[in-house]
Amino acid sequence: MPQLDTSTWLLTILSMIFTLFALLQLKISKHFYSPSPKPVDTKLQKQQTPWNHTWTKIYLPLS
Amino acid sequence: MNENLFASFMIPVMLGVPITTLIIMFPTMLFPTPNRLINNRMIAIQQWLTKLTSKQLMITHSPKGQAWSLMLISLFLFIASTNLLGMLPHSFTPTTQLSMNLGMAIPLWAGTVFIGFRNKTKMSLAHLLPLGTPTFLIPMLVMIETTSLFIQPLALAVRLTANITAGHLLLHLIGSATLALMNISLFTALITFIILTLLIILEFAVALIQAYVFTLLVSLYLQDNT
Repeated sequence: MPQLDTSTWLLTILSMIFTLFALLQLKISKHFYSPSPKPVDTKLQKQQTPWNHTWTKIYLPLS
Repeated sequence: MNENLFASFMIPVMLGVPITTLIIMFPTMLFPTPNRLINNRMIAIQQWLTKLTSKQLMITHSPKGQAWSLMLISLFLFIASTNLLGMLPHSFTPTTQLSMNLGMAIPLWAGTVFIGFRNKTKMSLAHLLPLGTPTFLIPMLVMIETTSLFIQPLALAVRLTANITAGHLLLHLIGSATLALMNISLFTALITFIILTLLIILEFAVALIQAYVFTLLVSLYLQDNT
């Protein structure tokens, strides 16, 4: 039976490992299943804290 | 006759160079890489089928087992595409090679066993003894369960090899019988041809089923051990 001829076993196993683990998995990992769209609440703005009302000098980068 | 029958299972060699590597890598060319945000139809169909299969396969696993989904899905696609490509006449099917199937079965099975041993030692050892056995049967049963554990990778590999090889051999024999019968009696040749057609349909089913069974069993061993 030619399947029991062990001279080619190393080549077959190595090429299978490369195909299965490297090639195929890289391809399948690029399958992107986008999540289903969800409605986003727009009224979630936080109230500005009182000390943010005025822009003071200390916020400038060169001061 | 013996040499001629098994000739299609020998490693194909072209001008003295074995081209097995190219043949094994060929099915990956049939799965194009999705590079864009919106892909073409072929990639969309493959993605849909992959999603269907992976949901069916991985839904019974814990999160730790679901980390194996990429491995199991690519295993399934590899075996299924290789088997289906082997249905083309005169093609070489790599899954008929015991070497390749052993190379797939032993590392995957060993991976599941070692994961179980490392993370849940007591539970994986407890699998060696079914529930509710009488005390005096315990030593014998542990030996039987250990044997059945070690035979799992061998069974995985030999099952795939034997199924695909036997199918291809049967197809080859019945095909040559039909051809030989055509000169003797056309009616018998027709009957044999119908048998051949049915066998071909069976072989297509077997190609897919074997891929599924292999992956399912690996996932079962994984479930036991995660």
